[in-house]
Formats: sequence, structure tokens, C-alpha cells
Amino acid sequence: MNENVMDLSEFELSEEELFAPYDISQYETEKITAPRYSYWKSVARVFFRNKLNIIMLCLLAFIVIFAYLYPLITQYEYVYNTDPESHHLNPAEAFAHFGAALKWIFGAGAGGESTFDAVWYGASISISLAFVCALINLTIGVIIGAIWGFSKKVDIVMNEVYNILGNIPYVLFISVMVLIMSASFWTMVFALTVTGWLAIAYFIRTQVIIIRDREYNLASRCLGTSIFRIAQRNILPFMTSVIVTLAATEIPSYISYEVFLSYIGMGLSDMSLGRLIEEAQGSMLTPGWQWEFWAPVAIASIITIVLYVVGQNLGDASDPRTHM
Amino acid sequence: MGKYLIKRIIHGIISVLIVVFLVMLLVYTLMDRQLIFKADPNYSHLSGTNRTVYMYRQWEAYGYLDYVPYTDYLDELVAEGSLDAETRASAARLGNTAEDDSAITAEYVAKYTEYYEDHGYTITRLDAVRQGSTRTASQLFAYRDINVFVRLWNYITSLIQIDNIHYAEGIADEERGITFTWFDPAYGGEKFSPAIIGNGTRHKYLLYFDNEFPFVHQNIITLSLGSSYSVNRNIDVWNTMTDEQGNIVSAPITYPTGYEANNADDLHSAVYSEGSLEAGGEYTAQRFTDDYTVLTTNLDGMSRMGYSFVIGIISVLLAYAVGIPLGIVMARRKDGAIDKIGTVYIIFIMAVPSLAYIFMFQTIGGAIGLPTTFSLTNPTTLMWILPIISLALPSIANLMKWMRRYMIDQRNSDYVKFARAGGLSEGEISRRHIMKNAAIPLVHNIPASVLGALTGAIITESVYVVPGVGNLLTNAIAAYDNSVIIGVTLFYAVLSVLAIILGDILMALMDPRISFSSKGR
Repeated sequence: MNENVMDLSEFELSEEELFAPYDISQYETEKITAPRYSYWKSVARVFFRNKLNIIMLCLLAFIVIFAYLYPLITQYEYVYNTDPESHHLNPAEAFAHFGAALKWIFGAGAGGESTFDAVWYGASISISLAFVCALINLTIGVIIGAIWGFSKKVDIVMNEVYNILGNIPYVLFISVMVLIMSASFWTMVFALTVTGWLAIAYFIRTQVIIIRDREYNLASRCLGTSIFRIAQRNILPFMTSVIVTLAATEIPSYISYEVFLSYIGMGLSDMSLGRLIEEAQGSMLTPGWQWEFWAPVAIASIITIVLYVVGQNLGDASDPRTHM
Repeated sequence: MGKYLIKRIIHGIISVLIVVFLVMLLVYTLMDRQLIFKADPNYSHLSGTNRTVYMYRQWEAYGYLDYVPYTDYLDELVAEGSLDAETRASAARLGNTAEDDSAITAEYVAKYTEYYEDHGYTITRLDAVRQGSTRTASQLFAYRDINVFVRLWNYITSLIQIDNIHYAEGIADEERGITFTWFDPAYGGEKFSPAIIGNGTRHKYLLYFDNEFPFVHQNIITLSLGSSYSVNRNIDVWNTMTDEQGNIVSAPITYPTGYEANNADDLHSAVYSEGSLEAGGEYTAQRFTDDYTVLTTNLDGMSRMGYSFVIGIISVLLAYAVGIPLGIVMARRKDGAIDKIGTVYIIFIMAVPSLAYIFMFQTIGGAIGLPTTFSLTNPTTLMWILPIISLALPSIANLMKWMRRYMIDQRNSDYVKFARAGGLSEGEISRRHIMKNAAIPLVHNIPASVLGALTGAIITESVYVVPGVGNLLTNAIAAYDNSVIIGVTLFYAVLSVLAIILGDILMALMDPRISFSSKGR
């Protein structure tokens, strides 16, 4: 014990110099010692903790890259094969007819074209459509939803708009758009987004209203924080997981919706997954022809499931309450 | 609450009107009106000026424009007395081109042109066309587009039609009237069956009883949502949805003349058609005593709406009966085996395109020997199974998802912790406390699911070939049948507004904390 006691005289300082009060700055007292917390790092940590998520994310990356690169490499173009022997082949027959290649593992379609090529080309169009529509709808929806939730005057007007436009059958709206403007990719985007944001905005509005009147926001407002800052600092972090979860349901839903629209004959003029399914519908019941129907259905389902699972788990991971 | 409800209903009606207006704007003004002839066989058979006249006639019939041919104008002048029949005949004779007109024709054409141009009409004159051996005469007509507000007004005012004794034109005034009988003449006049019979009305039987659900039927108030152009030609949308379908059912019936025959005619459906008794010749003379000769046929199937509703309602019941208990089990055994399997199932239904899993169910169902298509001519009980299951499985997933979510949220709330601390068993807490609170948001959706069953399901009905209302809208869009589009939209909008109001009422009944009389915030 005694050896720890220092001999102060060795500093050769006077008593006053040795025991002068230390000046503590105001700033230093405000410092709170806490482990470093980075939001997005925590999101990543929680997300990658689950092995299934890693597999799903790899699968998603593979599907997206493959869907965009493969049609580029093969230069997909619909060609009608005049040789009737090459029509409606299952994989074994296609291998026998054309020789074994990746191209023929789903067989050949009604025109003797490669189903595999067509499916991936269609997948790239469908994925593009889904991402573009989701991006537009989520951006508009979140912005308008936030304003809608905050302002009581806007709320009155927008509720009426929502009640009225919500009653117009979505199918009707899209079909009229497609009829007026031809069924191109951008027409479809327009038709799916022109009222599509409304449901998202309504959802966001409800979430904003729930959080808006919480005690901590009331306190914040009483202290004179501007609404913009409240929105940015108090509410937006809360909404991140909500928005990610929403995106997880929205993106696959556009692929499903495109499939549905093609089935009822109002789909794209491009070779999308929906159009492939619609065209191969008749082949479903013919023995030996089922491949050309089930291949796009299976690929569409895999894409939507992977997108959905990745998005849902990302949504869970982006909820700060899971970061403990 | 009464005042609040009235406000809600008025609000609902206004928003339905705006919806109809917007859809009218969409289909009548934005869509090319030439498109309606795409599926019309009459149109493709006509050529030259006849085709143009036919087009304008149809446009007038379907409310696009007001069309007045030159001859109608001359007829009107004759009726007024300012023109005699002889002059009319010569004035009506149009030359091949305007230069060929005789002096008298030219005079009346000029009057006609001036009169209708003053009223904002566009005058069109088509010269005679000679194509090979066929020749179509020259035509002169005036038309004026009907404003969309006028169209909406016309549509709304003719929506509900009340039958009255002044409807029929060819009946003498002293014969008009309504009679009540205890013994319905349609059953031979001996069987006890009360009926109200009108003369001068559109329908002969205004109120009658029969052995079909709901046993008492009326024809006094009829809905008219607009008549179809190509989907079900000239038939009103409402009738398209509610008329029976299927095989003809013959039964011995006694016609008004006392003539007995084995026939499928439904005497209760008799509608007035002027001069039809004479025009029908011997056949009608043998059977009918008056001009109420237009009958419908008895069929053994249900209506479109009937099929959709039966399939829809059974699947809704099935979904609630299966989905809610499963959701509760999932929540109580969170992270257990049932919860995991259930979650996989929910993800599957949420993510996979509905078309894909319906085809999957169809293939699986077909593999185990269930009929995969619906048949009107050979109805069996088994054919109902697959459509009902295909509709129920997604709703089950949805109900499971929400029920699990609400249950889990409620389990962590303070009142449940308190109940647990007070020594209540888990079963008691679930049943008496959590269930009551978790059921409230689900109850809100019950009216929407029940009424939604009336509107049918588009994919399920088209995959299983169910003759329901689900694909009526898509068929109408594909065939450019605008009045059907509007009628169906109106029907959907009314149902959805009604569903929300009923849902709110039901929720208020279930939860005493919700009150409509004063505003919460």
C-alpha cells in the first residue's frame, strides 16, 4: 500500500500549484459514455446473424445479375422456328433435338424457341418494372403520406380523394390507360403508379399519425423544435423499418400484378414473365407441353419469394428494437 | 349515432357519384368511341353510308350523342301539321349529292341545317356510294355530343325505375289498373297464392310467390344499370348479373288463355310489348290474351351473382373457421413448429403470384380426381370444391397473419400482464381478454368479405370457368362495352362504401370504447 504513495516533493512544485482546481468545461459534462452505435452497421449485423438471410441475399443477387446479363449474352430475340419438329419440346426432347446446352434445360416453346432464354429475358423486364414502379410509388407515397399525416387540413382533402379513387376498380384504370396509350413498358409504369401511390401514402399517413402524437414528440414540440426537424429526427428513424417492410411487399406485388394483368389480356407488349405465362396457358393441360407453362411460373414465384423474404427480414433488421 | 350514420351515408352516396363520373370521363371521353364496334358483327356486315348511319344510331342508343336524321325532322314537321305527307315524301328524296337535290328537297334541307346548327348540332351529309353491285344511299343527319354531366344526370335519374300503370302505350285508359288476387292465374287460378297484377304496367306480375328463394318476388322497383352492347347484347347489366343460367327446365303450365303445355316459359316474368299479340300470329294467339307476351325461360342454374356469392361466402366462412384458430395457435406457440409452418405458408401466399398458386391448386386437385372446371350443363357437387378452396386458402393466410400479429401484440400489453399476475390461467386470458381485443380489427373486415363475395373473383372464376360476375368487368373492358363497365363500377363502389359503413357499425357494436356520437380527438 505504502509503495503506491508518491513522494510529491520530487515534482518540485509548490503546494498551490499541485492542488489547483481543474477547470471543467461545460461541454465535457454533457458527454455521455456509451458504446458507439451506428444504425446501418447494426442493421447489417442483425441481418447477417441469420444464415438464411445470407443464402437468400446471394440468391437474389444471383437472380438479378443473371436476369440482366444472360439475355445480353444470348441476345434474346423471339424467333419462330419453321421446323415443326422443334415445337413444344420437353427438356429431354430438346436436348435430343438441339444438343445438350443450358439454353434447352426448360425445353422449347410453341415456336421452337428456348424457354430458358425467354424466361430470363421476361424476368429482366418484370424485375425492371417492379423496381421502377416501387421506386416511384414509394417515393411519392412516403412524401405525400408524411404531409398527409402531419397536416390536418391536407388530411381532410386527401381522405376524400382516397375514398373516391380507392373505389375505382384498379383493373379498369390500368386497362383504360393501356387502351389509350398502347401497352408499352412505360405506359404500364404510368398506369401502375398514377394511383398506386395512394395506398402507400394512406399507410404512411396512419403510421405518422400514430407516432406524431406520442409524448416525446409533444415534448419536442413544446421545446420549440420545428416540424421539419421533428419529422427528420424523431419520425423518420421510426419509419425506416416500416418503409423497408412496405417495399418488401410492394416489389413482388408488381411482378404478381403484371402476371395477373397479362393473364386477363391487358399486359405488356414486351415479353415479360406475365406474357409468357399467358401465352403458355393453353399448354398447361397438354401432356408433354407443361414445361413452357411451369418454367415461367416457377421462376416468377422464386423471384417474388426471394424478394419478399429478403425484404421482410431487412425490414425486421432495420427496426432498432431488434438491435439489442 | 343516427345523425352520424346519415352523414356517412350521404358522404358515401356523393363519393359513389364522383366515382361514376370519373369512370364515365375515363371511358366515354378518353377512349376512342370507334372501338365499341370491334366485337360487333352487324357493323362488319355493313358498308358505305349504311355503316356510318349504323354507327351514329348505336352511339345514340348508348348515350354518346344525340342523333337526328333528316327524315325524323320531316316526320316531326308532319306531326306538327306544318307539312303534308305528299310534300314530305318528295322532300325526303335526297339526291346522290347535294347538287342533285330537287328544289323542294333543297329548301327543307336548308331549313333543317339552319334549325339544327342553331341548336349546336353538327350537320353531316354523306353522298351515295357505289361499290361494285352494292349501292348505299346518301344520308343527311345532325348530331350533338352529350355532355358528360348530362350523361351522368340521365344515368342517375334512370337508375331506379318504378313500374306504373301509365307505362304501356297501347292500352285504353279505363283498362289500366292494379288488381289483387288470392289465386295466382299463373298456377291455373285454383292454387292459393296471392299476387298483385298490373295492367298498363311494364311487368304484368308486380308481386307474386313461388318456390324459389326468397319465395316472394316483386317487379315494382327495377334497377337499370345500363344495357350491354357486346357482352350480353341489349340486356341490362343488373339482369346480366342476376338472370338464371344453365339448362332449360320444362314444366306443365297454363297460359292465360287456358292453353296447357309443357314449357319452360316463366309466366311471372311477362313484360309488355306493344302489338306483340298480333305480330306473334297463331302461336301467341293460342296462349296469350294481351300484349304481355315477352317471357323469360326457366333455367336450372343460378345467376352469375349467385354462383359468385355461393363460392365466395362458403370460402369466407371456411377462411374464418380455419384461419382464426390457426392464427391463435400460432401466437400461443410462438416460434413452435406450427408457427414456423404457418409462417412459411403465409410467405408462400403473400409472395407467389396468385395466378401461379391457383394453377397449382388446380393441378393438384386434378391429380387427385376433382373436376377442374365448372359446368353449367352437368352440375355436380364436386366441381364446387376447387374454386372454394382456391378462394379460401389465400384468405386463410391473410387471417392467420393478422390474428397472430394482433394476439402477439396483445399478449405483451399491460392488462394481460396484470391478469397473469392476478393468477388467471393462460386459457382464460386468451379467451376472455385477448380474443375480445384482437377480434375487433378482424370484425371490421367481415362486411367487406361478405359483400366482396358478391363481386366475384377474377382469376379463380376464369381459371375454373365459373360463370360468375368476377370476369364481367374484364370481359366488358376487353369488348369495350362501356355501359357494362359503368354499371359494374357503380355496383362495386356501392358495395365497398356500404362495406366500410357496416364494418364501422359492427366495430362500434363489438367495442364499447368506440363511439360515433362524439369525436375522439
